[in-house]
Amino acid sequence: MSFLPDWAEPVLRYMLEVGLKGTLQIAAISLVGSTLIGITLGTLLTIKFLPTRALIRFYIEVWRGLPILVTLFLVFFLLPVLSPRFEFDALISASIALTLWGSAQVAEATRGAVGSIPKEQHEAASALGFGWLGRHAFVILPQALRRLLPPLVSLLVNIIQNSTIAQVIGAPELLESAERQVERLAAPTPIGIGEIKAFPIYATVMVIFFLISFPLTRLAAYLEKRLT
Amino acid sequence: MNLAVAFDWSFLTENGDELLAGLRRTLEVSAIAIAGAFFIGLVLGAARAHRVPVVSQVAAVYVEIIRNTPILVQIFFLFFGLPQIGIVLEPFTVAWVAVTIWGGAFNTENFRAGFEAVPHRFREAGFALGFGRLTTFLNVTLPIGGRIALPSSINTYISVVKNTSLMYVISYPELTTTALNINALTLQTVETFTTLAVTYLIIVWTMSASIRVVERRLALPEDAR
Repeated sequence: MSFLPDWAEPVLRYMLEVGLKGTLQIAAISLVGSTLIGITLGTLLTIKFLPTRALIRFYIEVWRGLPILVTLFLVFFLLPVLSPRFEFDALISASIALTLWGSAQVAEATRGAVGSIPKEQHEAASALGFGWLGRHAFVILPQALRRLLPPLVSLLVNIIQNSTIAQVIGAPELLESAERQVERLAAPTPIGIGEIKAFPIYATVMVIFFLISFPLTRLAAYLEKRLT
Repeated sequence: MNLAVAFDWSFLTENGDELLAGLRRTLEVSAIAIAGAFFIGLVLGAARAHRVPVVSQVAAVYVEIIRNTPILVQIFFLFFGLPQIGIVLEPFTVAWVAVTIWGGAFNTENFRAGFEAVPHRFREAGFALGFGRLTTFLNVTLPIGGRIALPSSINTYISVVKNTSLMYVISYPELTTTALNINALTLQTVETFTTLAVTYLIIVWTMSASIRVVERRLALPEDAR
């Protein structure tokens, strides 16, 4: 990449190899966690049993209501105080915080998607001898998944963007890697170049996030139009 | 498992004033940003819905850039990136500007969707009565489309309030920054974070409850759907 100034190449490489990798790790863990927990809770929420409904509703409202940064602080600072067993490194803490938030989003979307499946489908599945679990796992959820796809793609975009809060606790993700490089370059040679390059570096971070998010938001909009 | 769940109530009397000052700044920044986001959303949303040349395209680019990049990176760019080209902003300025720009982008989409949901025949009826384009907008599209957009725009305002917590990274002493500072001094982690979380939940839950009230009060008459 010879069109770039000398200082830029190692910066970009670090941001992609360390930063982007961390961002994608956090996003992958959070997406899988949010989807599994969210679909389970959302399906359970359709059972008309007051105590579980109240409990799941509370879970959803708390993790959707708190700023994700505050949730991250609860995980990173408060949990270890409650019990040393709950001490996690920065990357895992960020993934847990994003999973709590994301699973609340998915649970809410799942409730709507499962509720939109006609009653006849439940009855037909029961008539075929399916129990509650089999009915939901093999008949209802596969149909609800179609409706869930657009919100899940939007969730992925939001998880990728919100993973930047991990920077606050120093987890190696894209924004943190950029910040480290800004600080390194500001140091005198040979470590840095003794110059502040915050403007181009943070602009690059924005471009990278845009290149990831834009196609995904388009995809979400397209799926939304096609599947509903 | 031994959980340390004792809550020392004197924490509130000792740090109450400081926390309230932080809360006040959170609400202040939020209020400015909500007003700004409302205005931006109204103007650009109308321009998008009515395909006003140039303004509509510029608004579309603005919306896409803001919605497809993390707000935390936007804050970093404003606070740490801009000084390099000679634009130095105070933490307070960055705080309200960042959430206003962010809220404005999301609100543009809310209002655009609301205005576009107004049936075309209503506008035609306005023109038939001899209204001009602006008068039709103010008397027909705005009252109907604005109501349609209201719940989603309040959701955006809720996100604006939550996003003010990100001003922690520029050390603007709003609620979250204040709480973290208190935690660093007192080490009363349980008290600090419980208070912080409960305060945000009260604000956010109150605002979401208001959506339901507003939806009921401003519900469109049956025949206007």
